[in-house]
This record gives sequence, structure tokens and C-alpha cells, in this order.
Amino acid sequence: MKRKMSLSLYGAAFLISLAVFIAGVFVGSVLDTTSTQTISEEISRVSERVSSVQLLLLMEANSSSFCPVYLSELESIDEDVENFGHRLSYLESEKNVHDVELKKQYFVLEAESYLLSQKVRGLCGDDSVLLVHFYSNSNCSRCEEQGAEILRARDGLDRNVKLFSFDGDIGSPVAEAFMNRYNIRTYPSVVINGKRYSGFRSAEELQELISEAQ
Amino acid sequence: MDAATVLNYLIAFFSLFVVNVFILLYLRNRNTYLRPPEKTDWEPVISVVIPAYNESRYLRDCLESVVSVDYPEEKLDIIVVDDGSTDNTLEIAREFREKGARAFSKENKGKGAALNFGLEKARGELVATMDADSYLTRNTIRELIPHFLDRDVMAVTPAVKVRPDNSWIKELQRVEYLMILFSRKLLSYIDSVPVTPGPFSMFRAKVFDEVGDFDEHNLVEDQEIALRIQSHNYKIRSSMTADVYTEPPENIKDLLRQRVRWQRGGFRNYWKYKFMIKPEFGDFGMYFVPLNFATITAFFLLIGLMLYSTFTTPYYVQYIWLDAFGMSMGFFTFVGAFVILASLLFLYLSVKSFRDEKVKLRYLLSFMVFYWYLMIGYNFLFVWKELKKEGFSW
Repeated sequence: MKRKMSLSLYGAAFLISLAVFIAGVFVGSVLDTTSTQTISEEISRVSERVSSVQLLLLMEANSSSFCPVYLSELESIDEDVENFGHRLSYLESEKNVHDVELKKQYFVLEAESYLLSQKVRGLCGDDSVLLVHFYSNSNCSRCEEQGAEILRARDGLDRNVKLFSFDGDIGSPVAEAFMNRYNIRTYPSVVINGKRYSGFRSAEELQELISEAQ
Repeated sequence: MDAATVLNYLIAFFSLFVVNVFILLYLRNRNTYLRPPEKTDWEPVISVVIPAYNESRYLRDCLESVVSVDYPEEKLDIIVVDDGSTDNTLEIAREFREKGARAFSKENKGKGAALNFGLEKARGELVATMDADSYLTRNTIRELIPHFLDRDVMAVTPAVKVRPDNSWIKELQRVEYLMILFSRKLLSYIDSVPVTPGPFSMFRAKVFDEVGDFDEHNLVEDQEIALRIQSHNYKIRSSMTADVYTEPPENIKDLLRQRVRWQRGGFRNYWKYKFMIKPEFGDFGMYFVPLNFATITAFFLLIGLMLYSTFTTPYYVQYIWLDAFGMSMGFFTFVGAFVILASLLFLYLSVKSFRDEKVKLRYLLSFMVFYWYLMIGYNFLFVWKELKKEGFSW
């Protein structure tokens, strides 16, 4: 028998596969856009809640009588803020979605909630620890590892540790202002209750620093 | 994009392509694939060679099915080759002497040698090889013969099935056999049938003079002979209507052992016939043989990628696993869902194409999960045994 090659069969299968493939890429990018939009909307909503607390603080002339409200409100705000951060990292590292504007929007929210937490801490005598991680996705080899170590350190402690993180290299004015405020020169760096520690720190080292923090 | 992403994309595309080739083959031939060829009055002498090693459990039923097949008794030449059994296999074979069965006994040298011994004794124009744990149905032979009217056809494979059974492991294999059967039929449209199954296959006797006898040192000699026939550019046809029933392994251990043997022998055979990867061997050389190498490569790459992604999952993902799951719904979920749906459709068509085969839905749905783990099992054992250079044994 003379053999032949069913080129039209493979051609058709190739085209159908290509069509499904392109449809898949399209569906994927639509879903990624939806993810970033959702995060952006959630950030706006939490921003409003931060503003309400700030407003309440102003109206009550910084009296401590509303401390239970501030504390409970802030706790849920800070949880949300941290969650947004993880989701943004996930989109960036696992899905290759780089949305600089969204990150900038997020850093504004972080700065607001950080300052608010700091203020309420002083006002209400709360013993939570505020930890800020300064990183860079573009020129820092151990920042990802540092991020994981920070989470590990917190998981091993009973103390309430609130986490904030800023990428100093994406041109966010807020992040840069914080870098200046704490005089950050290297990545990674952490600031624990206002005190700066430069360079990589393991989970154990961090736990010690956190326990010592006032 | 990093290398892992590119590999993921390539494997996704490869899977899509393979599934689509099968679906297109089905769509192109959907009106004729069940239709048996025209009936014929041609009644050649047919030899049925049955090698048997310690088969006293099944041999009687097997021979009973052969002697009661719808074909003139004087044109049926039944040859039982007792391969040095230590049980009463030979006595059972001799019980059928009056019904035309010839029984021979030889020292134990393995299945391939027993088949070749039987081929020498065979008188038929067509020769069938048969396992002693398989059974013909009344019309098996009459359904197969018309395929040989095409002079290029050197072998025809029947519809090898597993009888419905209450044991889940047999039911899953029953589904699998139907799927293999369906795939083999589709492959016959591109002249790429890769195996003449041991349970029962029919050959034109002269093919053995042209391509040689069975390889006596092969783990899967029923595949090797088919590849050899393909390499001589002869046709192998596949019947969907000539039913043959066989006994599948009854437990996981035996099933795994069987599959490791198939995988090791199969891989070595394709390696031996890699010289066929040339345009002159058409679809078989340029699509089917490379497909086998591509599949096993893709399998191990996929396992590697899964392990890689497990070990490189960022620490924070545990805090947002639900969100992460939602966000990971993108390209791969879409393409993956398409591949899974297409495979399920293929599975459904495989079963559906046999009007009298009914399979419970739960076996259809659990089939892919079960076979994924079985595949992991036998592929790793295959590599492990090859690396250890372990000897062959049945």
C-alpha cells in the first residue's frame, strides 16, 4: 500500500486547537482584568472606611472614649489591607499581571491605615505591633524570601502584628515618602514600631525584634 | 514568561491537538465506522493458534467458544500449544480432539515461541492467534473475514471486550477496553493500528513468510508484530462488530504489573521502530510513532511542572487560597476544561458506539481520575525498572 499523510486532518486539528487556545488566552485576560478591577473597588471601599474613622477622630477631638470602635474597625481594616497585598502579589508573581496604578492606589490605602493605626495605638494604649516591609520587585534578590519570613515570624507569635509593605521602586510618591521618613537605603528593610532594621532578617530574628518592640 | 509557563502552554496545546485529531477522525467517519464490510461467501480454512501455559481455569470455556463458532467445522483448524504447563492444560485440550482441535506439547519457552510453534503447524489461509483466557462469540470469525477481501490487509483486530462484572476494577477496565477499541478504529482510518491484540487477532498466513514470525524475546509480542507489519506498509484493519471477550487482571497489583510490562515493552518497541519516522511511512511514521514519544515526554514534564509549582507556591498563598483559586481561573482552567470535556465526550462516544454496552455513570466519571493515578504508577515503575535494568518477566 502507498502511504499518505492526512495533512488536512492535522491542519484542521491545529486550527481548532489554536482557536481554543486563543479563546483561552482571551478568557484568561478578561478574568485577570476582572480580578484587578475587583481589588481596585475593594480598595476604594476600605479607603472610605478609613476616612470615616479619621473623621470620627477629628470630631471627637481625639478623645479616647471611642477607642473600642476605633480598635474593632481598624482590626478589620488592617486585615483587608493585608489581604489585598497578598492578592496583588499573587497576580504579579503567579499571573504576570503588572498594574502599577493599582499598586499605587494600594500604597495610599496602606499609608492611610498605617498612620491611623499608629495614632489609635498611642491614643488607646493598644499593644499591637506595626511592621513595615520595604521591598522592591525589580532589584532585590531576597525580598520575596523576606516576605515569607515575616509571615512565618508572625504565625509563631501570640502578639497582634499588623503588616504593611511598600515597593520602593515603582514610582509611588507615598512609598517614597515612607522610605524617606525611615531613611531606608537597602532592600529588604523592615521597620518595627518605628525602628528601622536594614537587611534580611530570619523569622527567628524578627520574632526577637518583635518581642523587644515597645 | 518563564520557562515553566512556556512548557505549560506547550503541553496544553499538545493535549488539545491530540484530542482534536481524534474528534475530527470520528466526525469524518461517524456514518461508516460501525458498519461492517460487505458479507462474503468466501470460506477459507482458518487456523486458530492458542498458546497455553497453566490455563486449566479458562481453557475449557475458551475452546468451547471456538468449537461453537458459526463456521464450517472442517474449515476450522484449532491448534492448542501447551507451553510446558504443570497443570492439566494438555488434558483439557485433548478433550476437544473429536471436535477438531489438535493439541501439542512443548517445553516451556514463552508465549512468542509457543505462537511460532503453532504457526508452523497451521494449515489455514488465515491464521488467528488467541489467548486461552479469551472467548469468541458466534459471529466473530464471519465478521472478520470480509476485511481480508482487500489484498493489502494482512491483519484484522476484533472488538476485544471485558464482560460486565460487579467488580469496580473490571468495570473500569471494561470502559478502558471500549475506549481503546474506539481509538483503534479511528486510528485504522489513518493506517496506524499499532497492535494486533493477543486475546484474538486474525492474520493472512503468508504475512509471516514476508515479515517473519513472532519475536520470541519481546514483552509485548502482539504489538511488535503489528509494528513490523506496519513497517512493511501493509494494512491492519479493525472490526467493531466481531466481539471477543477476555479476562482482565482482577486486582490492582496484577493490573499494575501488566501495565508496567506494556509500557516497558511498548516503549522499547517504538524505540526499535523509530526509523519509521519518515514521510514515506505516512501518518504512521510522521504522526503516530512520534506521538508515543511525545506523550511520555509530556507526561513526565507535566509531573515535573506540578511538583515545581507545588514547591514554588509563595508562602502567603495559604492566607488567600480561596482568592488565589478564584484568580487562577484563567487560561489554564479554560483550556483544561476544554480538554477534560472533550475527553469525557470521547469516552462517552466510545461506550455509546456499542449499542449493547451499558456502563454505569460513576465508572465513566471516575475513569479519568483512576487512570491518571494508574498512569503515574506504571510510568514511574517503568522508568525505575529501566534504570535498574531489571530483566523481563511476565
